[in-house]
Amino acid sequence: MNKQEIAQFELNTLELLKNVMDPEIEINIVDLGLIYELYYDGDKKINVVMTFSTPSCPLGDTIKTNIQETIKQKYPNFTIDIDVVFHPQWNTAMVSEEGKRILGL
Amino acid sequence: MNSLQTNNAPNSSVVVPHFIFGAINLFVLAILILLANANLFEAYFNTKLIAITHMAVLGWATMIVFGALYQLIPVVFETSLYSEKLAKFTFWISAVSIIFLTYSFWIGAFSTLLIYAALLMFFSLLLFVVNVLLSYKKSAIKNTSSKFIIAAILWLAVTELIGTIIALNFKFGFLTVIHLHYLKIHATVGLIGWFLMLIIGVGSTLLPMFLISHNLKYKKLDISFILLNMGLIGLISNWFLVQNVLFTVVCWVLIVVGVLLFISFIYESYKKRIRKKLDVGMQYSMLAIASIFLPIIISLVVLVGFNLKFEILSRVIVLYGFSIIFGFITTLILGQTYKTLPFIIWLEKYKSLVGKVKTPLPRELYSKQIATIQFYLYLFFLVTIPIGFLMNNNGIIKIGSYSLLAVSILYNINVLKIIFHKVKNNENE
Repeated sequence: MNKQEIAQFELNTLELLKNVMDPEIEINIVDLGLIYELYYDGDKKINVVMTFSTPSCPLGDTIKTNIQETIKQKYPNFTIDIDVVFHPQWNTAMVSEEGKRILGL
Repeated sequence: MNSLQTNNAPNSSVVVPHFIFGAINLFVLAILILLANANLFEAYFNTKLIAITHMAVLGWATMIVFGALYQLIPVVFETSLYSEKLAKFTFWISAVSIIFLTYSFWIGAFSTLLIYAALLMFFSLLLFVVNVLLSYKKSAIKNTSSKFIIAAILWLAVTELIGTIIALNFKFGFLTVIHLHYLKIHATVGLIGWFLMLIIGVGSTLLPMFLISHNLKYKKLDISFILLNMGLIGLISNWFLVQNVLFTVVCWVLIVVGVLLFISFIYESYKKRIRKKLDVGMQYSMLAIASIFLPIIISLVVLVGFNLKFEILSRVIVLYGFSIIFGFITTLILGQTYKTLPFIIWLEKYKSLVGKVKTPLPRELYSKQIATIQFYLYLFFLVTIPIGFLMNNNGIIKIGSYSLLAVSILYNINVLKIIFHKVKNNENE
């Protein structure tokens, strides 16, 4: 895979993650701005750097499981690493235009 | 940083019985209010009214609060509950105690049954207090919310201690002052120390989380914590020792400013929220926060006195209790049930299925239509009861009471619908 193909793969995976909902806010995690970075090493390993809307989010583990399962359904042999960070802290500026429309911002 | 609390969540068998028993007790409460009807106009310390009050604050509110708190401890303290077995044991002891206690009050068995019921209640609440305190001991989190919760737990112990002393006094008569004096302290510590502080502690975590608001001024809550505790300690010391009117007013001001700071915090959270549309659970919650002004105004009337006749004063005191127990506490609990219970059940049923099958949203576990009708019926109840009281009209009270009965039935339907939600076949496809 060349750099361009990897970039396209990352974009496609990000699009795939739009199927993962935050069940409380009822917006997918990509438009909510929870995914900070997504890398693909070109060899079946995906690394996701993400946050939650609040550090004490009781749905944190569930959202992480959902990400794992969603990617594995399409790419069963892939390894997925998820790093949860709280710096920078999530804020409304991270919500996409589509997310803002859903939230009525 | 241990930030994900799902693994610390207790088994739902710890939490769910509290919601079922609490919901049933709301129905029982509505029936008791209907049966007491004419007694509601009597002095605030009549047996039926005291039975109703204890069913409301213990059978209904405290039961739901216990269940919710067992679930929320991992979120607020960022640690698991000290003992789930102890929590289950506490539930059964509490459930028996509450029925026993309410029955003792209802039939006026002050010098016979009540003492045993009160001791059993004291024991069960003590078990709860110990479980929460030992959970807190494990926790590394010492923030404002957890401070409020721990203070509330300690005030619960004080409330129960005074309540038990009053009950013992009915049999042994060792107190020098009439029991109504202690009843006032018991009620004040229970409503402000236990319920209000707990609601501030839990609400300051949950409400901004549900409203999705950030960058809030938590300093307000720190000051509120100091003022409320100073005010309450001052009030109790004053009532026990000197009974100075001016000092009572000073303590009242401290408490009111503390409450206003909490309201200001929630208002700030509301203004900064990113979720503009409020669902039915948050509508209830915001109504509860707004309705806190009513007991503040009524308590001012009682404090200033206006030389009210005993009959009128007694009715104002009943309204004061009504405005806190139903206007504030019950409204908030009804709302937060729709925010927390669907999640508890959703997590239990779908935690292992997310990403593999299409899952419903937590709010789809209950009927929105029933919740909305319940909301308006409850508003009707909140308005009609005070009007009935002010107009001294038994008919209006009765209409309001039937409205609460309808609310309790609808609430029970939705609670049971959530708890017994079945994972449907098409969700497994």
